[in-house]
Amino acid sequence: MILETKGLKYSYHDGTQALKGIDVKIEKGKKIAFVGKNGSGKSTLFMLLNGTLKPKEGTVYFHGKPMEYDSKSLREIRKSVGIVFQNSDDQIFAPTVYQDVGFGPTNLGHSKEEVEKLVEKTLEYIGITEFRNKPPHHLSGGQKKRVAIAGVCSMEPDVMILDEPLANLDPVGADEILDLLNELNQNNTTMIISTHDVELAYSWADYVYFMNEGNIIGEGAPEDVFKDMELLKKSNLRQPRTLEIYNELERRNLATRNRFPTSVPELVHSLKPPELMWIEVSPDVKEGDVVNLGILHGEYAINSPYEAVNAKVLHIHPEGHAIAEMTRHGIKSGGIFIYDMDKYDAGPFKRILAEEDIDSIGAMGKKSKSLAEKHLLDLQITSGVIDKSILMALCGKRSMILTSGGMIEHAVKRIDEYAENSGIAIQLSLVNSEREELGI
Amino acid sequence: MINILDDYALVSPLRYRNNWLKIAIVMFGILVGVSSQSFIPPFAIALCMSFATVHFGKTSFKFYLKILSAPAVFVLLSVVIIAFFFGSGTELFGFDIFSYHLGVNTGGLEMALLVFSRTLSGMSCLFFLALTTPMVELFSVLKATKLPDSFIEISMMMYRYIFVFLEVAWGIKYAQTVRLGYKDWRTSLNSLAMLSTTLFIRSWEQGEKIFISMSARCYDGKLIFFEEKRPIRANELVLTCTYFAAVLALWYLTRIHSIF
Repeated sequence: MILETKGLKYSYHDGTQALKGIDVKIEKGKKIAFVGKNGSGKSTLFMLLNGTLKPKEGTVYFHGKPMEYDSKSLREIRKSVGIVFQNSDDQIFAPTVYQDVGFGPTNLGHSKEEVEKLVEKTLEYIGITEFRNKPPHHLSGGQKKRVAIAGVCSMEPDVMILDEPLANLDPVGADEILDLLNELNQNNTTMIISTHDVELAYSWADYVYFMNEGNIIGEGAPEDVFKDMELLKKSNLRQPRTLEIYNELERRNLATRNRFPTSVPELVHSLKPPELMWIEVSPDVKEGDVVNLGILHGEYAINSPYEAVNAKVLHIHPEGHAIAEMTRHGIKSGGIFIYDMDKYDAGPFKRILAEEDIDSIGAMGKKSKSLAEKHLLDLQITSGVIDKSILMALCGKRSMILTSGGMIEHAVKRIDEYAENSGIAIQLSLVNSEREELGI
Repeated sequence: MINILDDYALVSPLRYRNNWLKIAIVMFGILVGVSSQSFIPPFAIALCMSFATVHFGKTSFKFYLKILSAPAVFVLLSVVIIAFFFGSGTELFGFDIFSYHLGVNTGGLEMALLVFSRTLSGMSCLFFLALTTPMVELFSVLKATKLPDSFIEISMMMYRYIFVFLEVAWGIKYAQTVRLGYKDWRTSLNSLAMLSTTLFIRSWEQGEKIFISMSARCYDGKLIFFEEKRPIRANELVLTCTYFAAVLALWYLTRIHSIF
């Protein structure tokens, strides 16, 4: 338990009660989302969590110890609990990106050389080295958000709090920030965000708190809280689209019951096998047999260039008329290849692309993206890389994921998890790294 | 989007050259230009600095002429007045207006030319600095001049937030304009007052927000400075020395001469 609050109350000078008794428990290494409409007290809570505000009643516990408000303890807390504000302009105050990212480390008392090293490392990690000399007013919204995150990252906090991290960003910019948040979380930073984007909270978080008018009105794993329509109504929110679609499909008996798909591949997988059809069978076929109906190709093969169509015979009428359930398999087997960009070598890489007949290349993480750009690799997938690769593999296509560091482990885990949950084996190969090395 | 001189300086290739060298060149140009007795050295300086700004600094020539034309109008007006009302010597030409004689004599013309050339050289020197050295670079120069740190820190933050408020101000102005806030003089005055009030309140709030966000990152009164090592290259040094020598020679040769 890295952060905990008990009976936290706070009211502003004008008497508005912003928080009316909040109890939250935040575990180390988790992804937490606070969801609620504007003015529900999320930002106030965040400022209490890193000691910017002092509660009127109740206590914040940091690593199990009650928070002290003398300047020395506050320093410790603020070093470990970084906060990224909703409006980047409130946070980035220095005339150049370099200075702003170096602000935190300087205050922590590092020497000039250490600060320089930390800043360079952070700039590269976040992928903003090219902006180092630029003044912030020459950056776009997404770039500013990156700088703001870098400014907190350079202090190497254990917990990062982000107030509405994806507000006012374009979809691709938002995806990139989301990738970055996942990457940071992979490196063992506890992430806390506030949002009123239900899709984000549902698909991203491990644990969700619902806030309304200064109270926690609900909490739990996303699949539990988001099915509670009463709770959603009370919080002025609606259900996430994937869940809504799934519910409609389930109601029409088109999808398997009691699933909580958070992504498109999971939604697709929850669909019931379709297409019962009438076929003519020879007399020796019994109920329960599988009949090969031949191979479809060209425009009849939806999923891959060639598809084998098998039908399981469910019921046989007299005269050889039978009801069969159709299953189609792409004949070219799909697969996912993961390539560690830290060990990029042009020769072998090109050879693998050709040998393995790769259909599309995707890059995950800013570093891999900039490396790919540097080596003039044509990227087809730049956001939602793992999900899209799984979808492509299901359709018999082969994709290559370029990534590095902790993201490799993340990708392998996600794909294994999908395979385990769905029972569909996806051919997954690590091109230039070993599973043992990753400790999986 | 509005462009200010600083934006041009930020993208200029000369931004990445030694700041002290650029400042030395500018100071030299201004001092020699002002102390010159003849109009030739200032003209030479103006020519060289304009060439450096446009050619080495990659400022578009059209834009350069445009910004130079703003002060040029004032200079030309004063030059005409000086030519007519100052100096003595042989009259070059003149005319009568309402039985009052107006004429230009050699002394007046020479003085007018001198004023014109000095102003031009000064302007081109300053534009060279403004178009090749952005504020972010000048802060490290200020730091080296041993000015108090808090003074520089405040100016750094002012610099940063000028742009934030500029954007806010343009936003408000636009919102007012599209609702006819500037349709006549009276409404304009009213709208402008509202704009300034809002801007003042916004900047106050912004100050509070920055303070919170800075203390969230453990602010304890230290900011780092942006210092990039930019050694003077040999070719730059040779070019600068040649330029200095040539201008000084010109200055020496023309110190007693007069065109008349």
